[in-house]
Amino acid sequence: MDAAILTESLTRRFGDFTAVQDVNLYVEPGQFYGFLGPNGAGKSTTIKMLTGLMAATSGRMQILGLDLAMHLVEVKRQIGVVPEGMALFGRLTGSEYLNFAGRMYGLDRTMAAQRAGELLEFMELSDHPKTLITDYSHGMQKKLAMAAAVIHGPKVLFLDEPFEGVDAIASGTLKSMLQRMIARGATIFLTSHVLEIVERLCTHVGIINNGRLVAQGSLDDLRSGISDESSAGERMSLEEFFLKTVGGPRAASQELSWLE
Amino acid sequence: MMTSEAREQLSAVATVRWRLLVNSLRSVRGRLNLVSRSIAGLLVTAAALGGAFALGATAWELASTGKLQWLAVFFWIVFLFWQFFPIMATAFTQNVDTSALLRFPLTYRTYFLVRLAFGAIDIATALGLCWSLGLLIGISAAAPRLIPWALLAVLGFIVFNILLSRTVFVWIEHWLSRRRSREVMGVIFFVLMIGFQFVGPALGRYSKEPAVRRFQYIARVEPAQRVLPPGLTATILTTAYAGDPRRALAILGLIVVYSGAALWLLHLRLQQQYRGENPEGNAGPRNVSPASNIVRRGWKLPFFPAPVSAIFEKEMRYFSRSGPMLFTMLMPLIMILLLWGGRKGFLGSKSDFFFPIGAGYCLLVMTNLVYNSFGGDGGGVQAFLMAPVPFRQVVFAKNLAQLAVLITEILILLLGVSLIYRSPRPAFLALTFCWYLFAAPLNFGAGNLLSIYSPKRIDYAVFGRQRASETTIVASLAIQFAVMGIGALAIFVGYHYSDYWIAAAILAVLAVPSIVGYVILLRRIDRIILTRREVMASELCRA
Repeated sequence: MDAAILTESLTRRFGDFTAVQDVNLYVEPGQFYGFLGPNGAGKSTTIKMLTGLMAATSGRMQILGLDLAMHLVEVKRQIGVVPEGMALFGRLTGSEYLNFAGRMYGLDRTMAAQRAGELLEFMELSDHPKTLITDYSHGMQKKLAMAAAVIHGPKVLFLDEPFEGVDAIASGTLKSMLQRMIARGATIFLTSHVLEIVERLCTHVGIINNGRLVAQGSLDDLRSGISDESSAGERMSLEEFFLKTVGGPRAASQELSWLE
Repeated sequence: MMTSEAREQLSAVATVRWRLLVNSLRSVRGRLNLVSRSIAGLLVTAAALGGAFALGATAWELASTGKLQWLAVFFWIVFLFWQFFPIMATAFTQNVDTSALLRFPLTYRTYFLVRLAFGAIDIATALGLCWSLGLLIGISAAAPRLIPWALLAVLGFIVFNILLSRTVFVWIEHWLSRRRSREVMGVIFFVLMIGFQFVGPALGRYSKEPAVRRFQYIARVEPAQRVLPPGLTATILTTAYAGDPRRALAILGLIVVYSGAALWLLHLRLQQQYRGENPEGNAGPRNVSPASNIVRRGWKLPFFPAPVSAIFEKEMRYFSRSGPMLFTMLMPLIMILLLWGGRKGFLGSKSDFFFPIGAGYCLLVMTNLVYNSFGGDGGGVQAFLMAPVPFRQVVFAKNLAQLAVLITEILILLLGVSLIYRSPRPAFLALTFCWYLFAAPLNFGAGNLLSIYSPKRIDYAVFGRQRASETTIVASLAIQFAVMGIGALAIFVGYHYSDYWIAAAILAVLAVPSIVGYVILLRRIDRIILTRREVMASELCRA
């Protein structure tokens, strides 16, 4: 069976700066994969490359067995994305935008309208039929972006910080939708800074630091220290493992002398 | 007295502004924009020096012949420019949002100074200052005994103008910060702009009236202008010239009162900001109509793929929700109406030219939309980049929407011209059609390239904030100039041979390479976007 997401030596440079270096990802179909890393580690760059928003400097990417460079349009048809900027059109209403998104992904007009209606109901956005997206709250915009990403029933879903700025209620709605998608066999690749969410939702985790993939595996294996020889046998929380892997907070001696 | 902390803060703000400029030069586009800005800077310098010289010479002439009362006219000109130019031309000026400084521990006085000092660095203030100094030098050179009074009067005039322009700006900024009032303001500005277009015809009409009638009009307006700062400034000088220093001083006091009023209004607004008002004016929960669960189906354009229909629909919805863009659409017709001015048999047979000229103007007013076609999408551009749709379809759909708007606009124009004058002769219809066949694909092709290579995020909902990048402005104007020039040349050939079908034929021939070029470019768009997508997305997603 083809991997849902596969990268080989994926590298991206910006001039002299290497944002992503030799990243080899392997995500099986049906996995809920959390992609973690400190700020500036290369998470968003990786997700942009995987979704065709950015070119790789070198390396290979495959989504559902299709080479991204060779079959860009076909890959885009199979995936859903909530990118960093959410990709919304502020001066459309929610239903107009979902309709638009559905048809861009090849749904016919009737089906696009039907699914748009269902998604608006599900996301509790249907009470605002005439409100322009620009007047939505941040959480509402996130929900709408998520709705647009799933309207065509993608097999792989890429989410860049989907829970950022979302309240607990909206977050609950989003989580339940994602879990249902996983139950139906979809693959989800998400980045998040909130480790508790990743720990609760994800089955597999990859950690990127300074552009390099420093850990990858199932959540249980990582917490048991199986993929980290130095801590073999210890069972850690994801946060402990993460801090251990990426270096953790500075030592007390490195703290600012003038802060009491 | 300013504290050292306040001095540090002011200096920090100045440094930030300087660094913003320097950092903007890191990209090629930034450097290109600097070239465009330098050209604009040269033009402003020429206007400043030329205006100062002209006003100085006029003031010298008036002061040496004792006709000081006429100085009021020139103070009014400077005043009107100083106050109205920044509002009308927000498209050409860049304002840094200094209210963002509020999160720092600035005292109110420092904040006030920052807003006043850094906000006043604009073209209108620079020109207003130069022109006021020109007037001062002219008066002083012609009547040295008036130097102290001229100094005081012009200084008062300058201070008042700086304070008033900042006051007007911060209040307008306040109204613009709310989307709804912003749109209302857009309409008001637009009506004002149209109002200004009437000034020319109105002056033209009054100039034809007998001199006695003209003086009657002026006499009616004159007392009103005398109690306002530009008139008062001139009155200080005439009073001082007449040897009545007490009265001159009292009038100067009135200017101080006016300045004080402007200062108070400015303080009122800035203090509200300083105290932490909610600038976006959150509307809070509002009553919503019961959920309409029926989501309407999207549009379907016959013969075109679904994504093209979807993008076309999205573009038309955007356009219909942009008040300023809708008004822009009516501009050609309004211009024709203004030129006509209700005169019977106006221009006679020459009225045939109104349709082609109006049609050319229609294309011109679409420049911003065509040459920065992704600007209004902002972060939404990622939706196009992520969708499984060839990018040439996206670009084509956008062009199709622009063409639909143009056709609607031309039909309205044709109807207007036919009702006001007469239906254009077939030769003129044909030459306009052929000019469009030539000009539209050329503009769309060039517009597509510039939209991809030099995009700039803009807000079509806000009046005066639809400015494309400087590079795009210069390039698009050059192309428009060339296209209009070629059209005019073809018409001249038709005029020379008294047969405008020849002009239509020439333009039809030119249309062939234009259409072929457009198609070739469209086919290459997918390759181009692969290399430009990152820059484009990062530029348009920028907050």
